[in-house]
Amino acid sequence: MTFFAARDLTVRFGGLVALRGVDLELNQGEIWGLIGPNGAGKTSFVNAVTGVVRVVAGQVVFRGCRIDGRPPHEIARLGIGRTFQHVEIFGDQTVRTNVIVGLDRHVGYRFWSSALGLPATRRLEQQTTQEADGLLQAMGLGAYRDVLAKDLPFGILKRVDLARALAARPRLLLLDEPTSGMSEAEAEQVVETCRSLARDRGVTLLVIEHNMRVIMELADRLVVLHHGEKIAEGPPDAVQQNPRVIEAYLGTSPVRA
Amino acid sequence: MSLALNAQLLFSGVSVGSVYALVALGLVMPFKAAGIVNFAQGELVMVGAYIALFLSVGLHLPFHLVVPITMALAAGFGIAIERAFIRPVMRAPEFTIVVATLAVGLMLKNGVRLIWQDNLYPLAVPFSTDVLALGPVRINPLLLYMDGTAIVLMALLALFFRFTRQGKAMRAVAQNPEGARLMGIRVSWVFSATWALSTAMAATAGMLLGALFGIHPEMGHVLIKAFVAAVVGGFVSLPGAVLGGVLVGVAETFSGAYVGSTFKDVVAFLLLIGVLLLRPHGLLGTPLARRV
Amino acid sequence: MSPPQRVLILSACMVLLLAGPWLLGTYQQYLLNLVLVNIIIATGLNLLTGNAGQISLCHSSFVAIGAYATTLLYANVRLPFWLALPAGGLVAAACGALLGLPAIRLAGFYLALVTIGFLEVTQILVHELASVTGGVRGMLAPRPSVAGRLLATDLSLYYPVLAVTLGMLYAARNLRYSPLGRAFDAIRNSEAAAQALGIPIARIKLAAFTIAAFYAGVGGGLYAAVVGFIDPVEFGLWASVRHIIFIVVGGLGSVTGSVLGAAIITGLPEWLRRFQEYSDFVYGGLLLAFLVFMPRGIAGALADLRRGWHRSRARVAAIGSPSQ
Repeated sequence: MTFFAARDLTVRFGGLVALRGVDLELNQGEIWGLIGPNGAGKTSFVNAVTGVVRVVAGQVVFRGCRIDGRPPHEIARLGIGRTFQHVEIFGDQTVRTNVIVGLDRHVGYRFWSSALGLPATRRLEQQTTQEADGLLQAMGLGAYRDVLAKDLPFGILKRVDLARALAARPRLLLLDEPTSGMSEAEAEQVVETCRSLARDRGVTLLVIEHNMRVIMELADRLVVLHHGEKIAEGPPDAVQQNPRVIEAYLGTSPVRA
Repeated sequence: MSLALNAQLLFSGVSVGSVYALVALGLVMPFKAAGIVNFAQGELVMVGAYIALFLSVGLHLPFHLVVPITMALAAGFGIAIERAFIRPVMRAPEFTIVVATLAVGLMLKNGVRLIWQDNLYPLAVPFSTDVLALGPVRINPLLLYMDGTAIVLMALLALFFRFTRQGKAMRAVAQNPEGARLMGIRVSWVFSATWALSTAMAATAGMLLGALFGIHPEMGHVLIKAFVAAVVGGFVSLPGAVLGGVLVGVAETFSGAYVGSTFKDVVAFLLLIGVLLLRPHGLLGTPLARRV
Repeated sequence: MSPPQRVLILSACMVLLLAGPWLLGTYQQYLLNLVLVNIIIATGLNLLTGNAGQISLCHSSFVAIGAYATTLLYANVRLPFWLALPAGGLVAAACGALLGLPAIRLAGFYLALVTIGFLEVTQILVHELASVTGGVRGMLAPRPSVAGRLLATDLSLYYPVLAVTLGMLYAARNLRYSPLGRAFDAIRNSEAAAQALGIPIARIKLAAFTIAAFYAGVGGGLYAAVVGFIDPVEFGLWASVRHIIFIVVGGLGSVTGSVLGAAIITGLPEWLRRFQEYSDFVYGGLLLAFLVFMPRGIAGALADLRRGWHRSRARVAAIGSPSQ
């Protein structure tokens, strides 16, 4: 069974073609880097896969089912998680609550037992809180758990965003520039987290990243978009040497140190 | 029913609709310029009518002075309201803007009630209001004035936006406030000017409605029809708002005549909900994508 | 707060709530009932607007629907009051869901407009169905009797109203800290992030509209019982704005805020009776002042105070202890 495949994926905004016939196939537990110059369609690809923007042509298959055309929350529930380039955090909630919202997916809404405050729900609430605290601790965010998210700097919010996405226990995780706004040491920690996710939990990762050092170190394979089209795919070393990629990044002159 | 009656209904629908259009234009302009939907626009219509009442009854000014002075005073009033109450909440969430403008409306209504109480005042006009007969079609000349005023104002507005520096600046700000600021346009001045224009339009609508139905503190209720008109037009299109106003006017006049007076009010909301669900960006508008 | 302190404060509050009204005159008792009713209404609106972030200018319509439905079921259908009241709430909730169906596709201004439309249509219906609702002339609402006892005095009505209010506050607080409540807050903060975490936004909004309408409906049923008379003027746009004042002054998104706001604003006309002519100035001014200077309302300010107090205490403790 195919784990994940995008076939001939096309996305259009009015007259502007954001993605043109992109093919991509991912296997479980792989770490992929999605790179390309600004405006190449990287975020559009993530938005198309997660159902946020409409797919004009082509299909997206995840664990044997077509998922294109489905609403975003269903796609999320099938096990595709994502983070956001310009963090979409629940600002006036605490860091812990942000993560608990991710965990809630596995609990369900249980309206009546919640409203009536039945003991079973209370126990469940406690469990969820403990789980959230554990996750925050593991991500090195334990100290911030009671802080309102809007009071935190960007770099930490990127980590909160990642922790929240992980709380939903995705099988495929799409990370949109997970290390932006971070110091080298913090970025290193995120790389470590991603590696252990893939290695220990079999999570597949597709990482959009501008920091080439980070992506070369992290990714098993790279895919390169340019003007909405896939121009290269393969192991990082090979992609780095690919003349089309060099041209896309540097214009026509192939000079590169 | 007869052709003559239908013609009559159509004419009065278009006339009432053109007043809705004036109010709707006043809603669309601040929305385009700064993303503000003004829930006090109805009260601005009312305040305009009372300014005219004060000038004509209180100061005994002749009517040809009342109209321009009212528009000028209303424009100044609009600028004051914008500076005092709207500026502080301009960047706030939509909920805050809705509630803040509602609050301004409440206060305006309270102020008018303190001075004039709940009475219904007529606004005297200096021309004959005897019904004109065009063949079998009977027409209230006031409606003609409504159409005339609306057409003149809309034409002036169109010329203003097309040919004057100020009008072009306002269009630039509506397109791209940041860019306009970089080009040296004083964006804050443009916001004030937008409010001045909107309130002047509202005051004109107030005078027309006052002449036709009388002046009272609840006359701001017309806002709801203007909202429907603006939504039908897509809320960002000035021609759309005019079309919407006329459409609402005609729809409610005909449904009032053929179905019943209750349905007259319901039809506007059916139109509202229908347009919002089927064409949420108006009859003329195109959808905008949100960036994540 | 240590647990014994908490128990002490809670029992003091209970004693005050149970015994206090005996010390008041009948008019104050009546007002107290009205405060409780408004607390229920505000709590519902706050879940919808403060938490789920949905603007509603027709909350008063759901109060109206609850008031008319409960009264008709009780007085005409002769259902016992303890059944008519929740039934009235359910009728309102059903109407809330009905409004929710188009409303979940809209946001912001457009939503505000559709809710105004709903309010107008409700008003027209109350006027048109005059044979049942009494139209503009209004309708008498009989005093309820519970378990064969007529609750004739305001004091006798107080206890059942208090019980319902406390129950509904308890449920609201529980919901606030449940997956559903967190989903409300999530979609208000970021719909994009909420749906990326698997939250079905449309269903959650629909739930918010339904729950808010249920609270309003129950509040309306009790309102009719407390006041004894209902007419459409009481449920116009102004009433909806008043409900918004409750939650803006009290504090958006906070159950405590709903309680504080409803209590203060319901009591306000009594304190301001000399300025009755200026009442809309006061309300409008209050709204603007809170929106600009205290957007999180009284409850938000109290929370900030408490947070600051804890922080300064922590600092004192840190200074007092030897540094690591």
